[in-house]
Amino acid sequence: MTSSHRIGGLSRRHFALALTSALLPPALLASGCAAPYQGTGRPGDPIVLTLLSHYASGALKEALQRPVDEWNATHDRVKVRTKAVEFTDLLTTFMVRQAAGQGADILHPYCLWNGQLVQAGVLRPAPSEHAEEIRRGYGGAAVGASSVGGRIYGYPTEVQTYALYYNKRLLREAGFERPPGTWRELEEAAYRTAQRDRYGNTLVQGFGLSTYDDSTTVGQTLALLNAAGGTFVSADGRSTAIDSPAGRAVFDLEHRLVVKGASAPGVNVYKAFQSGRVAMVVSAGWWTGSLKTEMGNAYRDVGVAPLPVPEADGRRATLSTGFMLGVNTASEHPREAWEFLRWLNTGKVSVKSAKKGATATRMSSLQVSVGSLTGRAEDMRTLLSEGSDPNLRPFLDALEYAVPEPNVAGAQQAKSLLRKNIEALWTGQQSVDESLRTIRRQVDQEVSRSW
Amino acid sequence: MVNALAPETTERVHSPRDAGSTGPAVDGRRRTRPRRRQAVVAYLFLTPTLLFFAVFLILPLGFALLLSMSRWAGFDLGDIDPVGLDNFADLFVDGSTFLTPILTNTLLFALGTVALALAGSVLVATCIDKLRFQGLWRTLYFLPIVTTVVAIGNVWKYMYEPGGLVNGVLNALGLGSVGFLQDPDTALPSVVVVQAWASVGTAILILTAGLKSIPESYYEAAALDGAGPVTVFWKITLPLLRPSLLFVCITQFITGLQSFALIIVMTKGGPGDATNVAALEMYRQAFSYGDWGTASAAAFVLFLVVLVVTLVQLWIFRRKGEDT
Repeated sequence: MTSSHRIGGLSRRHFALALTSALLPPALLASGCAAPYQGTGRPGDPIVLTLLSHYASGALKEALQRPVDEWNATHDRVKVRTKAVEFTDLLTTFMVRQAAGQGADILHPYCLWNGQLVQAGVLRPAPSEHAEEIRRGYGGAAVGASSVGGRIYGYPTEVQTYALYYNKRLLREAGFERPPGTWRELEEAAYRTAQRDRYGNTLVQGFGLSTYDDSTTVGQTLALLNAAGGTFVSADGRSTAIDSPAGRAVFDLEHRLVVKGASAPGVNVYKAFQSGRVAMVVSAGWWTGSLKTEMGNAYRDVGVAPLPVPEADGRRATLSTGFMLGVNTASEHPREAWEFLRWLNTGKVSVKSAKKGATATRMSSLQVSVGSLTGRAEDMRTLLSEGSDPNLRPFLDALEYAVPEPNVAGAQQAKSLLRKNIEALWTGQQSVDESLRTIRRQVDQEVSRSW
Repeated sequence: MVNALAPETTERVHSPRDAGSTGPAVDGRRRTRPRRRQAVVAYLFLTPTLLFFAVFLILPLGFALLLSMSRWAGFDLGDIDPVGLDNFADLFVDGSTFLTPILTNTLLFALGTVALALAGSVLVATCIDKLRFQGLWRTLYFLPIVTTVVAIGNVWKYMYEPGGLVNGVLNALGLGSVGFLQDPDTALPSVVVVQAWASVGTAILILTAGLKSIPESYYEAAALDGAGPVTVFWKITLPLLRPSLLFVCITQFITGLQSFALIIVMTKGGPGDATNVAALEMYRQAFSYGDWGTASAAAFVLFLVVLVVTLVQLWIFRRKGEDT
């Protein structure tokens, strides 16, 4: 070999090979995008389906693992492996893993993201027989949350409705024997229960408004908006409908509560309510499980009532949010994945705590075991029949009239924009009019751009 | 094979004896061949680093440039949809929050951090330089650097809370409570203070090294001339500290402009957009909203801002006679 064919001892061919090896990983990464893990792939080996969820720790992780273990023990050909991350990292994990070719076969997204995930081509529409089963077995809010553009993309799992949590002791001390049923009563109770010290520190919030997370900041505002007959996004999903009399009424109510000192948005209501320093707060049903664990004996002071409506004769409505289990478009075994989901979400098992012969789906049993609800009202009634927490009942009743959270493409961004403007209203940066105007301009621009 | 790295090879080529015996043409060939070989070897040694930069810097940079002019949800490379300069236009369209308050907050955050950290570190470094056990003091001030941002952010967050330590001190002094992180007027300055506090350790380390390099004879001469401590500081210490100050200023400013972790821990950009900064917005656009195009466009705008600010700083210091 002549020296012209050698580069520092390496032949050109070897050099090219080395160069290719160095550049291959990114090339493979690019070409392998969105390819989920598929097991060994050898003939005769079991198919391994991966399930990516936010049931990452404690009771939630154990609750999901139980039926998965049962499936794996009773099915030879198809096995399921769970992967979990904290909820705050879930969307980011979907995005990154999918882009890196590590997307799971079965995804467990928050329904708010469905529009975004469908638009990105991540979620596979439910086959017709599954879609029919979902439509038949679940409440309207759950089916709506799992659908995008009228098409169903998965089995609804956890469904959360919003109601009014109240501290019975604080209301009683302020002269109220029952929780408020109207906004006027809510305001009156909020002003009478609020307390501050001479330095302006909040001792008791009459009505909890917190900027801690979306559940409180946006969730409670949208729940009140729904209760007033309004919606955040128009029916066609192409503009916001918050700049309406209902939206104005909610923003006015919250603004008054802050200005008159009944609410302190800077305080974390999750902590403050637990320590008896918030009289009332709007939140979702999942909180009951945490409150029971964290508050111990003090939990007896906690009551839950349906969300107050503007007028006594008003029609009930509230917000519902949810999760669903869907199948990745890149999964090579969609049929098996749907089959597992059907088994988990529709196959009935006996309920020990209920009367003899009573049955519920594995998913409903799983949810109730961790203090949550599903969109299957029939299952929930069976599971909550005897000895269960009465505070869960208003959330169950709300499944009948709850309005699903809009999940159009760009919904997460629209929600963030709403949250920012609500915070700007609460902190005096914007007036009610300015907030509504800004939300309309920003959200309209966003949801129209996303198509 | 000739060992191209052997020192005698180079010496032989440049040897006058060889040059005299073979004539100019042969000499040129002899001189060129080993040099070429050396260059090839040099490039071979550089190849891993160049490949590293190509894979982890040039490739992502090119990809980001492509994305900044496309719409992409982040999953399927086949779905990259070219949109020209639309993403850049969207950042500055009427009603967009990117210019105000996000970019404004970013600049204010960086400026505030640099000003506080620089003033604080000059003061502390000068004091430490006159104390015994200097290593101990430097270590104490350096501790925040080795602590994670998440821990620092959370501790300060609790201290700033309505019932926290800072408000407790204010109340003990008979003053009313302040909603440090809850009030949009005080939220950004409150985070700036924490960022400056956390970065002061590095600055002190660099400045104390700078102080050590100032010859003692200048101070002796100043003392003989009867100069007071303030004059010595302004006329000797500060001018001779300028190279260290330039380095601290530029690195702190760039860190400030790219700041992200402390803000997401302490305020998540709120209340409203009061503490939202460019890096946080980019993260949200890409990983929360699936809008990689806007995120990439924002990244290039931030890159331009960092470049311009750095060039301006260099220009100002050069005008004052300081070169990097």
